[in-house]
Amino acid sequence: MLMDKETTARPDERDVLGISRLGLAVGSGERATPLLAGVTVRVGRGETVGLVGESGSGKSLTARTALGMLPPGARATGRVTVSGVDVLAAGRRTLRDLRRTRVSMIFQDPRASINPVRRIGDYLTEGLRARGVPARAAAGQALDLLDRVGIRDPRAAVRRYPHQFSGGMLQRVVIAGALSTEPELLLADEPTTALDVTTQAEVVGLLRNLQRDHGTGMLFVTHDLDLAAAVCDRVYVMYAGRIVEEAPGASLFAAPAHPYTKALLEASPSVHGDKAAIKAIAGRPRSLAESPSGCSFRDRCPLAGDDCAERVPAHRPHGASATACLRPEQVMP
Amino acid sequence: MTMARSLAAWLGRRALAALVTLLVASILIYGSLRLVPGDPVLAVTGGRRLTPDQIAALRAGYGLDRGLVQGYLEWLGGVLRLDLGTSLTYQSGVTTLLTGRLGVSGLLVAYSAVLAIAFGLAVALVSAVKGGLVDRAASIVAALTTATPTFVAAIGLLALFAVGLGWFPATGAGTGLAGRLWHLTLPAVAMAIAAFGVLARVGNAAFAGELGREHVEVARSRGVSGGAIIRRHVVRNALAPLLTIAGLLVASLFVGTAVVETAFGVDGVGSLLVSSVSRRDFPVVQGIALVAVALFVLVNTLVDLALPFIDPRVTVGGLSR
Repeated sequence: MLMDKETTARPDERDVLGISRLGLAVGSGERATPLLAGVTVRVGRGETVGLVGESGSGKSLTARTALGMLPPGARATGRVTVSGVDVLAAGRRTLRDLRRTRVSMIFQDPRASINPVRRIGDYLTEGLRARGVPARAAAGQALDLLDRVGIRDPRAAVRRYPHQFSGGMLQRVVIAGALSTEPELLLADEPTTALDVTTQAEVVGLLRNLQRDHGTGMLFVTHDLDLAAAVCDRVYVMYAGRIVEEAPGASLFAAPAHPYTKALLEASPSVHGDKAAIKAIAGRPRSLAESPSGCSFRDRCPLAGDDCAERVPAHRPHGASATACLRPEQVMP
Repeated sequence: MTMARSLAAWLGRRALAALVTLLVASILIYGSLRLVPGDPVLAVTGGRRLTPDQIAALRAGYGLDRGLVQGYLEWLGGVLRLDLGTSLTYQSGVTTLLTGRLGVSGLLVAYSAVLAIAFGLAVALVSAVKGGLVDRAASIVAALTTATPTFVAAIGLLALFAVGLGWFPATGAGTGLAGRLWHLTLPAVAMAIAAFGVLARVGNAAFAGELGREHVEVARSRGVSGGAIIRRHVVRNALAPLLTIAGLLVASLFVGTAVVETAFGVDGVGSLLVSSVSRRDFPVVQGIALVAVALFVLVNTLVDLALPFIDPRVTVGGLSR
C-alpha cells in the first residue's frame, strides 16, 4: 500500500525508540474512537527528536506508549520498540524493568510530578531504590545528581520539601530524577511549558548537556515549533493523531513542506525578521475521530482540492522533508 | 530555639481557643437545660404530695432557687474543682457517677472506632484501587450503612446474633477484659456501622483522588511497584484529610453510646444520659454534655497538632516543620 510507505523512518534495531505504524483506539466495534493512526517515529542513540503539534494532536499519547502507558481501555496496533524490546507485547514485569532501567519520562508540571508530602531526597532515590540500589548508595547518588543539575547545597536540598523550591529548581530535580537510572531514552513531555521564559532556556540547556554527556536519545514533545527546531536534530509534526511532516530541525523554518507546518510557523510570533502579523490557523484543531476523510487538515488548508479527500496522503520526500501532502511544492515558506 | 518558642506560642493559642469553646458550650448547656419545661423537683418526688415548705427546701437543696446567672456561676465554680454537682435521683456526686461509667463507655467507643476505621478504610482503599464493579458494590454498601440508624442496627444485630444464633450476649457489659470485649462486640458493631459507611465513602474519594494525581503516574512511569505506590503516594497523601474526619467521627461515637448502651443494657455514660434526661436529672445531663464537648475539643486539638507532622505544607505558628 502506498499510504504507509516509510521514507526516512526505516526501523533500525539500534534505535532506542522505534514506533512503527502505531494506531490507538478506545472502545471497540462501532463505537471505537480512534486516537492515533499510522504514527511512525524513530529516535536513534544520542539523537534529539522533536514531536510537535497543537494540544490534542496525540503527541503525549505517542510518547507515553514508549513506556507502555496506554489510556484506560485503549487498544494499540503496530509496533513500539525501546532498545529492541517490544513494548506493546511486553508483560507487566518486562514493562517495569524497562521503566526502571531504560526509559525515563519528564512530565510537564514539576510541581505535580513530585509528591508534595515527601522529601526531595525520597523523590530522587525512588527510581534507584526500585531497581534495587541500597538505600545508602542511593542517597549518595542523589547528592551527586543534584550537584550535576546545578542545585546548590544538595545536602540541605534532599531534606527539603517540594513547596520550598521554585518551579525551575523543581524541574531540575525532576530532570535529576529522570537521569538517576541512566536511561537510554528520555521522553520529555513539554518539560518547559510550565516555566518562565528565562528558566526555559536554562532547563533546555541543561537537558541538552546532560543528554550529550550520557549519549541518551531524547524525544522532545512540545507545542513550540521554534523551540523544537532550535533544539532537535529531527522534528516530527503531528496533526489529529497522524504525523504530517518529518524534517531535519534546521530545514523546518527554511522550507516547510506541509501546509500545517507552515501555518504553525506563521502562528508563532518571532523576534527575528519582519514584524509580520501573527496569523491564527483558521478553524479549530481536530482530533482524529472528528477529522474529515482523506487528509485530516484539508478543511483548514488553503491549498486543499478535491483529490485531498480521496485518501490519507502518503509520506513522500520533498526537499529535506518527508511530507503527507499532495502538493508540497505549493507550500511557500 | 525560635522554633520551640513558636511551637509553645501556638500550643498556648490552641489551648486558649479550646478553653473559650468550652466556656461558651458550658453557658449554652446550663442555660438550655434551665429553660426546658418541667420541674425537676416534681420528677424527683414522683408525684407524692409535699407541702410548699418541703418543696422550697428541696429547691434550695438542689440550687434551683438561685437565678440563672448565679446558678451558672456556682455550677461553673464546681466544674473548675471537678465537682459537677449532685444527681437528683442517685443522691451522689455526678463526677463519681461519670468516672465509674467512663471506663465501659470509653472501651466501647475505642472498640467501635477501631472497627469503623479499620474496615472503612480497607473497603475504601480496595474499592478505589480496583474500581469497576467492586467500586460500585462498595459505594452501595457505604450508602446503605451510612443510612442505617444506630438503633435499627442494634435491633438487627440483637435479633440475629444474640437471640437467633446466640453467639453474643444480649445485655450487660461483662467482667474481665475478654468478657468485656465479648459483651461489647455487638454494641460496638452497631455503633461502628454508620461511621464505617462514612469512612468507606470519604476514604474512597480521598484515595481515588490521590490515585489520579500526576505524581502517582510519574512513580508508575519509573517502574515503582504497585504496593509501594499505594503506600508512599496514595495512603500517605490521603492521611491528612482522613485523620480530620476520623477524629470527628470518634468524638461523635461518644454521643452515639446513648442509643447503643440503652439497647444493649450496658451501664455506661450513654445509658446514664438517657435515663437522666427522662428523670429530669439535669446536673447529670449537664455533666455529660460538658464532657462530650470537652472530648470534641480534645480530639480536634490533637488532630490539629498531628497535621503538621503528616503534611509538611501545614505550618505550625507560621513556621513549617
